Amino acid sequence: MRALTLVAVAAFILAPFAQMLMLSFTVTLPHPGEMVGSLSLRNYRAIAGDPALTASLANSLIYVSANVALTLAVSLPAAYALSRYRFVGDRHVLLMLLAFRIMPPVVLSLPVFLLFAQVGLLNTPFAIALVHCLFNIPIAIWILESFISAIPRDFDENAFLDGYSLPRFFLRHLVPMIAPGIGVAAFFCFVFSWVEVVFARILTSTGGKPITMAIDGLFGFRTDVGLVMAMTVLSLVPALLLIGFVRRHIAKGFRLRV
Amino acid sequence: MPPPDNRAWILVLPALAVLVFVGLIPLISVINYSFFDIFTLKDRFWVGTEWYADLLRDPALWAALGRSALFTALVVFIQFPLGVGIALLLPRNALWGSVCVMVLAMPLVVPWNMIPGIWLGFVDVETGLAGRAMAALGIGFDYKFNAWHSWALILAMDTWHWVGLVAILSYSGLSAIPGAYYQAAAIDGAGRVQIFRHVELPRLTGVLMMALVLRVMDSLMIYTEAFGINAGGPDGATTFLALDLGEEIAAFNYGPAAARSVLYVLLVLTLAWAFTLVLRGLRERS
Repeated sequence: MRALTLVAVAAFILAPFAQMLMLSFTVTLPHPGEMVGSLSLRNYRAIAGDPALTASLANSLIYVSANVALTLAVSLPAAYALSRYRFVGDRHVLLMLLAFRIMPPVVLSLPVFLLFAQVGLLNTPFAIALVHCLFNIPIAIWILESFISAIPRDFDENAFLDGYSLPRFFLRHLVPMIAPGIGVAAFFCFVFSWVEVVFARILTSTGGKPITMAIDGLFGFRTDVGLVMAMTVLSLVPALLLIGFVRRHIAKGFRLRV
Repeated sequence: MPPPDNRAWILVLPALAVLVFVGLIPLISVINYSFFDIFTLKDRFWVGTEWYADLLRDPALWAALGRSALFTALVVFIQFPLGVGIALLLPRNALWGSVCVMVLAMPLVVPWNMIPGIWLGFVDVETGLAGRAMAALGIGFDYKFNAWHSWALILAMDTWHWVGLVAILSYSGLSAIPGAYYQAAAIDGAGRVQIFRHVELPRLTGVLMMALVLRVMDSLMIYTEAFGINAGGPDGATTFLALDLGEEIAAFNYGPAAARSVLYVLLVLTLAWAFTLVLRGLRERS
């Protein structure tokens, strides 16, 4: 009974993916020498042969890695401070994190565009990396904070007694200790950044397009659905690899502190 | 209780600096724009609260708010029982547990603008697996012109997309319950329902609130996915709050769009504050 229910849930989740995979190997527009509806690798060959599409894969990987690196670098000290100390305004900081996490991107899209135009960041992957910190920093701080709070305070104090400075303590003791937490935080930052499209669209109108926008560009009068699906399949690969790495830790440590 | 130390601010500062740049400055500009009639950004006129007055008198705004509230309520009532139920059924052993978590997490990593496309392909009457199955069973499914079917499709898609998040978070809450609690419940002769009600549910409250905040906010402001299904149709039946805003921005109506944005921000902040109060209340009680 239990197994049967789980199989039904898995079928519900996997069926649309199966459809997508099938279409990605199907010819969906007439091409010379190939019948519509026949199985073929032509969609994947078309992607490999299109520099705009391959560049978009690289752009996506660049912006998402830059975002994860920046988010983790600023979130780790903040999470440590929120876990270990009380300070004036700490509750306001937590409320602000919540507010920015749930702020709808479409509300901020226009002023973000104007601001980034002024500082000359438009049409680069780094603009997306920076603006996605809006929702990723709160997530990363929540996750890292709960992992740090699970470590007894003696652990820090012993290191400080041994003469470690705060930065050295972070790198030598804290980071190895909460490595699973950093992995989980990186995973969630990656996911939320990878799938976002509102900011990505407005910031890369003429260049630096990520995969999501390259796919949008494929829609037209006669859309090649097979090509779109093949691109979508490719867009899933990095994220699925990442799930494999953190699968055992995903289900640990994600709580909202206010 | 952690010790007070205001030097901790230095550690928070880098994160706050980034948030001020990408969040607070744009937010202040939106509030500023909402009081102007903007032809170009250099050519604008002060109109005071005119846009706000127009908006609050606009029946379309209230209709969209009603639709969004109904959508969010349905999302919560479908996805939470389902997600918690799945989490309770998930195997606790390492191998099968992580296989299930991986499957549940898959829809979370699909780019949002591709989700409607995948589902439209899935329910296509001629080529889609679900579409052909429904046709074979004699079910006429017309998401384009039948409002009920549009809603059903968007709800099914949203459940597919997000039920994994609720399930994974609940699973993480369940894994954190020490085995001693279950043993104590077994000695007291508690049944399955009682174990859930008195042992599991209280310890799930934290993660469920987290999931609730994320789901309520994201479904209230659903945009990309819903627009991709039917562009707000048929006849406005799936025009949710953020769809109106998206159209105004696309039509370069910056003044009214900014006023609308500010109203949404106020709505979001009120809900965030309410969640905070509830969470603090729950923590003080436990």
